[in-house]
Amino acid sequence: MPVDTKRIRGPEESQSPLLFLSPDKAPKAPSSRQGVRGNGDVRPVFARCGLVSQAKGSAYIEAGNTKIICSVYGPKETERRDETDMKTGRLVCDFRLAPFSCVKRGAWIQGSEERDLSATLMESLRPGVCLHRYPRSQIDVNVMVLENDGSVLAHAVTCASMALADAGIEMYDIVLGCTLRQSGNACLVDPSYAEECGSWQEGYGDNQGCVTLALLPNLNQVSGLNADGEMREDTLTEAMRTCMDGCHKLYPVVQQALTRAVKKKAPPPEK
Amino acid sequence: MAAVKVCEAEKVYIMHGVRDDLRLDGRGCEDYRHMEIETDVVSNTDGSAKISLGHTDVLVGIKAEIGKPRPMVPDEGYLEFFVDCSANATPEFEGRGGEELGVELSNTLYKVFNNRHSLDLRSLCICPGENCWVLYVDVLLLQCDGNLFDAISIAIKAALFNTRIPKVHISEDEEGGKEIELSDDPFDCMRLNVENVPCIVTLCKIGHRHVVDATLQEKACSVASLLIAVTHTGMVTCVRKMGGGSLDPESIFEMTEAGKRVGKSLHAPLMDLLQKEESLGKKRQKVGFLG
Repeated sequence: MPVDTKRIRGPEESQSPLLFLSPDKAPKAPSSRQGVRGNGDVRPVFARCGLVSQAKGSAYIEAGNTKIICSVYGPKETERRDETDMKTGRLVCDFRLAPFSCVKRGAWIQGSEERDLSATLMESLRPGVCLHRYPRSQIDVNVMVLENDGSVLAHAVTCASMALADAGIEMYDIVLGCTLRQSGNACLVDPSYAEECGSWQEGYGDNQGCVTLALLPNLNQVSGLNADGEMREDTLTEAMRTCMDGCHKLYPVVQQALTRAVKKKAPPPEK
Repeated sequence: MAAVKVCEAEKVYIMHGVRDDLRLDGRGCEDYRHMEIETDVVSNTDGSAKISLGHTDVLVGIKAEIGKPRPMVPDEGYLEFFVDCSANATPEFEGRGGEELGVELSNTLYKVFNNRHSLDLRSLCICPGENCWVLYVDVLLLQCDGNLFDAISIAIKAALFNTRIPKVHISEDEEGGKEIELSDDPFDCMRLNVENVPCIVTLCKIGHRHVVDATLQEKACSVASLLIAVTHTGMVTCVRKMGGGSLDPESIFEMTEAGKRVGKSLHAPLMDLLQKEESLGKKRQKVGFLG
């Protein structure tokens, strides 16, 4: 019998030990936020540009425990040729979650959820980039989530647009993202992983949902919207307005990080 | 996506028409095309439905199989969606061409059904932690003329209404192991409650107004569209913005409200129609695919 020497045979199906935790010992999701952060506050964000030396532009964002890195390559010759490419460029987004980023181990092969997130990321960034200035070219945006502690898509959008700006790609405006978790009548802006997934299973309560919004702050245009769960329409509208406020709160931090990166690359002339 | 090339003059013509609430085929901005639904078209499935919305044809087949429940929710069954864009619809879908669109459609369906109230998953449980019903919802796109999401969601609702899941009986045998027995009577089955199953409404922004049920030509004139899934009580289960353009927040609020209104009004006539079709029973004339 030929023996497969190339692969290390692990168990066919492995499960996380957390599944075997008895329910009363399971950590309860905190109903109200401990510490300084209020329900409407975004987590303090650390943002830096220009860390990947090989990439045209790159950015790193840390919000709470969520860590995301993004690098931009391009504009370069496009691989596929379509008639539409003759007039405008193409934006190719790749969103990946590292296998160790979530509580449950993910696979390196891109699952359908990651492809869906890549498509949403592309839709959110597309209105912000002046693609008609790059005909017959393609811009690659690669987002890698190192640690997933909630509102990953929103921070990925912010990180990707910072990386695009760092790469010198022409844009109409920076794109900022914000997530909100609606639970009954309370809403939590920029939820952590426990807040995002908690009470989804337990609560039979109405009005449970998660809204992610991408905004171009200066033009006041919404470039991406994703809502999940089951909510009333007026709750949804309120949630969107709160998300837009959250995005505006994020703007000064991003502005500061970009000016700092520009000053480092092209220091102002000595007086 | 199967797209139609529209010249600038046609775009301007369509936009001006929409501005005056008159579309290419004479509809208003919030009117649907002629819709035909037929259930129980495929005999090998547990539930099936075929819908033609204008020139868009969608066939949904549901098969119920016994599987192991998900570890996090041992007392519930689940649904698996798969959308296949058949090469019948357009030659672009040949081979792996339709895969991207199919994946996008399936992912949206997962999100639409990802809540507690759409379908009572607990009724799909056979033995908590060991056996449950898994409903495989397979969608086949036969013809593509715009507004796929709406057609698919209505077809899924009709197919779920039509689904007959056989009743199972768990018996203990001598060693203490559990055995599953299917009842002998083929008509002894469980039906699903589809009251809360949402319907998707896609609104395309053309100029300053929005249109419901856009054809491919109208889609080519719009930069962005909003997809909203609404239940019969007016609860919104999924909202997505699609397309490469951006939307003004005010127009999003307007479109959400219009979508909710249109979606809510879809459910009652649909349920009436399905009940009427069912009540015809043996007397029903099967129309099939060439009717």
